[in-house]
Amino acid sequence: MEDLLAARAQMGTSLAFHIIFSALGVGVPLLLCIAEGLALKTKNPVWMMLTRRWARATAILFAIGAVSGTILSFELGLLWPTYIKFAGAVVGLPFMLEGFAFFLEAIFLGLYLYGWDRLSSRAHWLCSFPIWISGLASSWFIVSVNSWMNTPAGFQVRHGQIVGINPWQAIFNPSTPYETVHMALACYVVSGFAVAAVYAFGMLFRGRRAEYYRKGLLLGMLMALIAIPLQIVSGDFNARFLANYQPAKFAAMEVVYHTQSGAPILVGGLVDTKTDTIRYAIEIPKGLSLLAYWNPDATVKGLDQIPRVNWPDPALVHPSFDGMVSIGFFCLFIAVIFWGLYLLRKRQLPMQRLMLLGVFVAGPLSFIAMELGWMVTEFGRQPWVIYNYLRTADAVTTAPFLNISFFVFSLIYVLLAVALVWLLQKVVHRPLPQVTLSEDGYEVQEPVIEKVGA
Amino acid sequence: MSIAFVALIILWWALMVYAVLGGADFGAGVWDLFALGRNAEKQHDLINHALGPVWEANHVWLIFLIVGLFSVFPTAFSVLSIALFLPFSIVLIGVVLRGAAFVFRYYAVDTEGFFAHSWSRVFSATSLITPFFLGISAAAVASGQLINSSGIPDATDVSSMTTPFALVIGLMSIVLCATIAAIYLVVEAHDTEKDEHLTASYRLRAIIAGAVTAVLGALGLALSISEAPMLWQGMVARAIPLIVVTMVLGLATAVSLFFNHYRLARILIILETVFMLATWGLSQYPYIVPPRFTIANSANESSVIQALVIGIIVGLVFLLPSLYYLFSVFKLPYPVPGLKRREVEKQQQRRPGQKQESALS
Repeated sequence: MEDLLAARAQMGTSLAFHIIFSALGVGVPLLLCIAEGLALKTKNPVWMMLTRRWARATAILFAIGAVSGTILSFELGLLWPTYIKFAGAVVGLPFMLEGFAFFLEAIFLGLYLYGWDRLSSRAHWLCSFPIWISGLASSWFIVSVNSWMNTPAGFQVRHGQIVGINPWQAIFNPSTPYETVHMALACYVVSGFAVAAVYAFGMLFRGRRAEYYRKGLLLGMLMALIAIPLQIVSGDFNARFLANYQPAKFAAMEVVYHTQSGAPILVGGLVDTKTDTIRYAIEIPKGLSLLAYWNPDATVKGLDQIPRVNWPDPALVHPSFDGMVSIGFFCLFIAVIFWGLYLLRKRQLPMQRLMLLGVFVAGPLSFIAMELGWMVTEFGRQPWVIYNYLRTADAVTTAPFLNISFFVFSLIYVLLAVALVWLLQKVVHRPLPQVTLSEDGYEVQEPVIEKVGA
Repeated sequence: MSIAFVALIILWWALMVYAVLGGADFGAGVWDLFALGRNAEKQHDLINHALGPVWEANHVWLIFLIVGLFSVFPTAFSVLSIALFLPFSIVLIGVVLRGAAFVFRYYAVDTEGFFAHSWSRVFSATSLITPFFLGISAAAVASGQLINSSGIPDATDVSSMTTPFALVIGLMSIVLCATIAAIYLVVEAHDTEKDEHLTASYRLRAIIAGAVTAVLGALGLALSISEAPMLWQGMVARAIPLIVVTMVLGLATAVSLFFNHYRLARILIILETVFMLATWGLSQYPYIVPPRFTIANSANESSVIQALVIGIIVGLVFLLPSLYYLFSVFKLPYPVPGLKRREVEKQQQRRPGQKQESALS
């Protein structure tokens, strides 16, 4: 494999792996905070059981998130030294602030996960707030860096030197409000559906119906229901932003080869990059002009306005984009039907097999949508690593053995994934903790044989 | 004093904190390897309890260092990234597998099974490898031979990492980590677990490891005359008082261990590590990567560094109290709000200053 390709493959694999855990690290702590709050308020031990079980899973997931994040912070330098020389100078500040936010998250997670026996129940619950708040903050800071890579701001290049750096302008670059919101919502969507899917699975295939499962499903779906419509609106904002600020990415997403007025939306289809055409796509006439500019006859800039060397690859960007959008709408559909049924049937949790199957499928699909969305923004920025300033090919390291490095790190990811899945299924199959309520608050015992609430 | 110098001091301080916290985590992994026989499970438990709540927070100092270095000295960092590609790739693999291995074995349902056992071995092995290669990298930088005079880094040139000096410093890093960890574990075994047998065993280990560290340190010092001449000259010119203090602190640590003043020994070993790193920093001043990159020629724009320093200060305002709370809840005997009633009572029983016997009973 060519060095550049090996480096990109390693970076891509690392991000694809890390994003799963970082998203859960943002979303699940909020669920923990809500569930524990409900446990304290309603005095219903089932909420405490859920909290305990999720905390155990969070400990493992967060640790994998932390180590995979470390890989990324090293790889920025090890694989892309020229990039980090540039980015470090301009967007060092958000990297630094992300570090602090992550630091706080790790500290309070340590208190939260290991402090059950030491902290009073109120202090313990209060410790969950800094976790989800700093989780959200760290995602905001790190995505602001990615936004800066898409719409660089806050510096000038004079005689090959970066001068006049303004780190605040760099953080609040044009993409920041769009990208950061979209990513934060994605974290809540996937966390909500992931949790709901676990309990839907238990109900579908293990015949569980107990309150523990119903409450778990309910809370997961609640988060998903709130986040997914907002996410779709946010997606729409992003697309319209891109049409103006990153026309190459937008054109690749929607396969607009030729600048045209009244451009259609092309759904699906096969992109042929040899002839610059797309076949078998479903066409919605004037749809794109309407969506992007609120005007059916507006002109949409095509790839023909951009020099070919600066083109992203529509064959990668377009299917990723379509995949993300279709899954997004599928998830919205599931959430709406679920809550529609819930309200129609006087607050009875919908238990139809098909409904549960839908929720179960939406879990993994929402992660795929998040990965695809990430691919849209990353592939869509190519061939640039810092849009219009630094090409990916010019940023890669001169170090040798990048093939081997990619191979070794891929092996590590496989190893971590296998061990993680094995361990998580052990956690899931563990008998539920026994929770009793006393004057001192909740007493929890992890039972060895007996199953409670199953 | 330039703002870049202020930022450098902050980074150096972070390196010291990482050494005394993260270093101890590595050291605990080293001792985990030696936990054999009938006491093994007790020792694994001791190490698990000692590390569990804090290792992730300790580990973030490394990320802070990386981010700080590339924000404040972007040019020097990008050069280091290439020149240290090989050792840092190994360090990275070590850090990653180590963190993962720790949680995997901690949360393994069957703590005696194959799964937990294998990850335990990974945890120990990577706890040896990582500080070794960190030490080698540090030695390569300090020797002034990592980057040739052209200033163009070459990842395949490992000559500065394979010198006896680099190897000795690599080994010393492992043993230093082990010493720090052994002393922390003495305190933990004595105050928290109240296990006399474990206390005695870690006390002995701490003394032996401390002695080995001292020998390797002296050897490194001697080798630096010929192999890291720039470092040696800087040391002679500026850092002799620091070296003397480091040595005295090392001796004092051994003495206080010998007379069973464990908490004092913990403070002394922290100070010794701090002074050791300060010696390196002062000797290498004003270079970031000698002999080519100095503070002046590789620092970012001063307005940017100013913003970073302000960001760091604001961050620390949140961070330090949180960190203090974390360590108070799990490690320190001083009262903090939010503890359970029975924990407060337990804490009062083992407040320092009380007789050792009553604490052990």
